[in-house]
Amino acid sequence: MKKMLLTGLMLALSGAGAVKVGVLLPLSGAGSVSGQAARSGYLLALDEINRAGGVLGKPLELEFGDDGSAPAKAVPEFVKLVTVDKVDFMAGGVSSATSIAISGPAKQYNTFMAWIGAAAVPVEDAFADHKYFFHYHPWAYYNFEAILGYFKTLKTQRKAKNIAIAYEDGPFGSAGIDATISAFKKAGFNVVMAEKFKTGSGNFGPLVSKAKAAKPDILYWIGYDTDALPLATEVKQQNLQLGLLYGTPPSWPVGFEKNKLSDNVAGLSLWLPSSPQPESRKFVAAYKKKFGTTTEEYFAPLAYVNLKSLAASINAAGSTDKDKVAAELAKTNMPTPFGPLTFSKSLKTQYQGFKSGNWLHFQFLGDARVPVYPIRFAQKPMVWGK
Amino acid sequence: MDLFLQTLLNGLLQSGIYALVASGLALSVGVVGIVNFAHGEFLMIGAFLAWAASASLGIDPLLSLPVVALAVFGVGALTYRVSIRHVLLAPELNQMLLTFGLGILLQNLALMLLGGNTRTVSTPYQASSLQLGALTVGGPKAVAFAFALALLGTLYFVLYRTTLGRQMRAVAQNRRGAQLIGINVDRVYMLAFGVSCGLAAVAGVLVSVLLFASPTVGLVFALKAFAIIVMAGLGNLTGVLWASVLLGVSEALVQTYVPGGGGWSDAVFFLMIFGTLVLRSFRGNR
Repeated sequence: MKKMLLTGLMLALSGAGAVKVGVLLPLSGAGSVSGQAARSGYLLALDEINRAGGVLGKPLELEFGDDGSAPAKAVPEFVKLVTVDKVDFMAGGVSSATSIAISGPAKQYNTFMAWIGAAAVPVEDAFADHKYFFHYHPWAYYNFEAILGYFKTLKTQRKAKNIAIAYEDGPFGSAGIDATISAFKKAGFNVVMAEKFKTGSGNFGPLVSKAKAAKPDILYWIGYDTDALPLATEVKQQNLQLGLLYGTPPSWPVGFEKNKLSDNVAGLSLWLPSSPQPESRKFVAAYKKKFGTTTEEYFAPLAYVNLKSLAASINAAGSTDKDKVAAELAKTNMPTPFGPLTFSKSLKTQYQGFKSGNWLHFQFLGDARVPVYPIRFAQKPMVWGK
Repeated sequence: MDLFLQTLLNGLLQSGIYALVASGLALSVGVVGIVNFAHGEFLMIGAFLAWAASASLGIDPLLSLPVVALAVFGVGALTYRVSIRHVLLAPELNQMLLTFGLGILLQNLALMLLGGNTRTVSTPYQASSLQLGALTVGGPKAVAFAFALALLGTLYFVLYRTTLGRQMRAVAQNRRGAQLIGINVDRVYMLAFGVSCGLAAVAGVLVSVLLFASPTVGLVFALKAFAIIVMAGLGNLTGVLWASVLLGVSEALVQTYVPGGGGWSDAVFFLMIFGTLVLRSFRGNR
């Protein structure tokens, strides 16, 4: 009995004063593919951090919260982590809608936020005046900058001139669509079609018929994973002749790469497991060792980098004082699977991590996502359908 | 002209899947007298079973279809025995709340057990199509349409040409009268509800081929099925097909010819419910 009490006391004491990080992720709902990938990344980083001595001499602790991919669920979960679990720092954040929803409580509690996702510009507006907001994922305009750069190359090399755009009618697809169209036009493209669709409806027949009549070189699709297969199926069934079907969903359906219909479909990713960067190779090996498998979701390494950099900054600060940790995190210059991580100003926020230069364009080729652009990272030549 | 004809064809093909979902719901409303708000979730179970058979056993979804339909028929019959049966004589609001709760329960169970990921199946015929001049007929959608015709034909035959069908119609018309002439009403209800769920599962299998399997996949189709049975007349099986075609073609026309129509197409079924109800009440008043 005495022995049990002593063990309990020792465990309680070892946890006392440990640094706690709250992690808010979409572990269920529409964004769960990215959320679950991020969770694995955090768990891997936690193992490595604690094996290396933890944070401030004690094992680091993580408290996960599921935002259910829904703003209404995210707010109480965030408040619980901050006020009941009393975490010292908040990490995570994938969806823009949930991040906007928690911006109020984050400012109310003056929470330190090391945020991995949420690329929409309204999130940048919401956190513009928050002094402890560190954003790792590139903002939407950096994503578009990368896409436009790639399409300009296709214009030069493949004579791609006509773009058809299919966008979902929620904030993810519709926010900034007018700016997207005018940027394409300004770059010398003809936007031959810009059509809304209802995500998850799977009814792409009329949209593809319309695109067929418009004869585009590129069909640029802004939607979610649920739309990937129905759209690819309809394109194939109606024999729509395209140079490229290019999509930017936050994640792709499970097993999509094994389906023949995914062949030559192109997309955007911050990272791929085949990336030649030494840090990427290290990450892939460590991930495989821990989970027995690999991941193609970039939110896994993004979460990994997020926690490693935060832990390093707390250690460098020597305390959990938010100002001191923020000052150390702002000085970050570390190699990561995406390339070096440093923080600099974005259009509205103080601390922005990765920007447009970190994006990779890939194609589904032979059951895998293969980087095809920028050329220095390309592993196979891009397949152009025309 | 080609675009117009292709649009009509797209709408017609889409209506096949709508009719499949709505036929089960029409049976449930027409015979058991229950508006089953969990109908979409039985479709979701069918889609997941087809996906599981394909992903883990390598069985083509169309081959697994009879087994899946039978399994979901069993789930439906069990659901009837443990829950629906006890509220048949309760106020309609209680029945609706029960099936609504059942739908939420099934959806959240799927989320907890399988996660929110979208699962797709891969079949060699997924992208097959038939070229008719400038028009294209998608293979799986044509199969769904043929299935809908065949199943509605079979249902019609069972209802109007067999003893079980006569019993079902008798129970639907007058529960007590049917009981008095010796019909086992409880058995008829169970069979009708089970078949209704089995039909949802057939639609689910085809949805897994056409689209994907996910915990929320049933919701979109269930909503449209409600619009269809309202247009067809509650419980009217024969009206399901024309109502499905009307909805499918209207959606396609809006998507193609209305600017920003993709965003408006889902409003079509709300408009149709609204229009039908107003028209019926107007006729009733006269």
